[in-house]
Amino acid sequence: MNARRRTVVVALAVAVVAVLYLGVAREGPGLAELWQWLGSSFGGDPLATMDEFSFANLRLPRLLVAAFGGAALALAGAVMQATFRNQLASPDLVGTAAGAAFGGALAIVLGWSKRAVIATPLASLAGALAATSLVFVLARAHGRFAVSTLLLAGLALHNLVGALTSFVVTFRFNNYTASSDVLFWLMGGLEARTWDHAAITSIGCMVFAAMVWPRRRELDLLTLHDDTAHSLGVDATSARRWLVWCACGLTATTVSNTGGIAFVGLVVPHLARLLVGPSHRVLLPACAVLGALLLVVSDWVCRLAPPEANLRLGVVTALFGAPYFLFLLVRQRRGESS
Amino acid sequence: MSALAVNNLRVRLGTREVLAGVNCELQKGEFVLLAGRNGAGKSTLLRAMLGALVPDSGSVTLHSRALAAWQPLERAREMAFVPQSVDTPFEFTGRELVTMGRHAHRGRGQLLERADERAITQALLAADAMAFAEQPVTTLSGGEQRRIAVARALATEAPLLLLDEPTNNLDLEHALQLVAMLARFAAAGRGVLVASHDLNLFAQHCTRVVLLHEGRTFADGPPREVLSSANMVTVFGVQSAPPSGFFPREFRL
Repeated sequence: MNARRRTVVVALAVAVVAVLYLGVAREGPGLAELWQWLGSSFGGDPLATMDEFSFANLRLPRLLVAAFGGAALALAGAVMQATFRNQLASPDLVGTAAGAAFGGALAIVLGWSKRAVIATPLASLAGALAATSLVFVLARAHGRFAVSTLLLAGLALHNLVGALTSFVVTFRFNNYTASSDVLFWLMGGLEARTWDHAAITSIGCMVFAAMVWPRRRELDLLTLHDDTAHSLGVDATSARRWLVWCACGLTATTVSNTGGIAFVGLVVPHLARLLVGPSHRVLLPACAVLGALLLVVSDWVCRLAPPEANLRLGVVTALFGAPYFLFLLVRQRRGESS
Repeated sequence: MSALAVNNLRVRLGTREVLAGVNCELQKGEFVLLAGRNGAGKSTLLRAMLGALVPDSGSVTLHSRALAAWQPLERAREMAFVPQSVDTPFEFTGRELVTMGRHAHRGRGQLLERADERAITQALLAADAMAFAEQPVTTLSGGEQRRIAVARALATEAPLLLLDEPTNNLDLEHALQLVAMLARFAAAGRGVLVASHDLNLFAQHCTRVVLLHEGRTFADGPPREVLSSANMVTVFGVQSAPPSGFFPREFRL
C-alpha cells in the first residue's frame, strides 16, 4: 500500500471511529442527532439544547482526551523503547507512569485538584520527572547508563511508588470522597472530562510530540549500541535524557487526565512497527494514530457496557494489553532459544 | 602530524586498571593492527579513541585538537567505527542501517540527497552487501550483519576508520575481501586501525602493529618486528613457527 493510500485509509478509520464514538451510545442522542448537529453548523435545523450540550460539552471533549491521551501514551512508549533499546520498555515499566499517578493522587487527596484544573497535571508531571530522574541516577555508572540496570531500577521504583500511592489513599481513608475519587481515577477513566481536560491533554501531547519529532533520526540511532550511536555523531546520554523527559511529559499530561491507563505505551509501538517498520520517521505518526484509535475504541466499549458493570478504561486496556505482553515475552524467549 | 593520537592514557573500569599509560597514534595512509591478549584493553582503547569513554588521565587528540573539543557531528565526519557486536534489536533493513551512516552529513529533518544515496550505494557495493540490503537485519546471518556494519562505517566517508574485530563471523572469502579493501583504503590515504586476534590475516597487509600487554603499549612498529617469536612468547605465551605441512596455509582471493 503506497503512502497516499495508507493516509486515506487511516483518515477514514479515524473518521469512522470518531463518528461511532460520538453517535452510538447506550443512552442519549444517537447518529441521527449527530448528523443534525453537524448539519446545523451549515445552516440546518438546530438540535435540542440537551442533545447539543451532550455532543459539544460531554462527548466531544471526552473524545479529544481519549484521542490525544492514547496518542501521547503510544508516543511515550515508542520513545522509551528506542532510547532503552528494549521492546518491552514503556512508561509503565520504568516508573514514569507510577510517578505521574503518585503526583496526581497526591493532588486529588490534598484537594489541589478542586482549586485548579492544572494542579493534577502539574503534580503528575512533577511525580513523573522525580521518579524517572531517580531511576536515571540509580542506573548511572561511569558516566553511562546501563539499559538493563535502568529497567530494573524502573521496575523497583514502579513498585515503591505504587506502594506510596496506596499509602496516600489509605492514609486519607476517613475522607471517603477523596479516597474513592483517587481509587476511581487510578483505575483509569474519562467520565466528566471537560474542555479544560481536553485542552491540557491535547496541548501537552502536541507540545511534547513537537519536541520529539525533530529528533526522530536520533531515535533510530539510539536503537544501536551507545558506542555506535556516539561514533555516528549522537551524544547518546544527553539525547536519551532529553527524549525521556519528553516521554515523561507525554505520560504525565495524559495520566493526570485519564488516570492509570496500562499497556497502551507498550502494545501500540509493536503494532505500529509491524505495519510500517521501525524507522521513527513513519513509526511516530503511526503510533500517534493507532494509540488514539485504541484508546477511543476502548473508552467507547466502556461507555456501551451496562452501568452496573462499572467497566473502567484502565481495565479494558489491560485486558487487551496484558495477553499481548505475554505473547511478546513468549515470542522473545523462543527467539532467544532458537 | 598524527591524525589521531593517544598520550599516556589511563582508564580504570571498576577496580581494574584496563589501560595503564598507553601511547598510540594513527596517521592517514596507515593500516594499523591493534593486537593483544583477551582483556589487554584493545576495545577499551578503541572506545577512548572514539571519545565514547572518558579516560581517567591522559589525552586523545584528533588532528592535534583535544577530542572532547570536537562537536559530535564534526567528529563523526572524521572518524567511523565498526563495533565488535551487531547492535540493534529492531528490524531495520540493511539499507536503513547503512543510511544511518549519513547522519552526520544531514541537517535535522533533511531528506537524503543525491550525494547521500551515492555514498550508501557505494558502501553497500564495497562491503558486498547489496544482495541482502532490503532484508530486515535480524533475519541476516552474523557475517551478513557484520558486512552491513562495515558498509555503515564506509557510508560515513570518514577519513579515519576504527574497527573492532571486523572479521568475526565472516567466511574466508569475505574476510580476505575486507582486509584487501581496508588495505586499499589505507593506500588511498585513509587511516585504518583494526583491533583483532586474527594476526595471520592482518599482519600480511597492515603497515604497523601496536601490541598491548597488561594495559600498556608493549611494542609498536612493523609487523615482522612486533610479532617476533620473543614477543609472541611474552605476550601470548605461545611459540610461533614458520609455515610447514598442511597448516597454516596461505589463502589468497
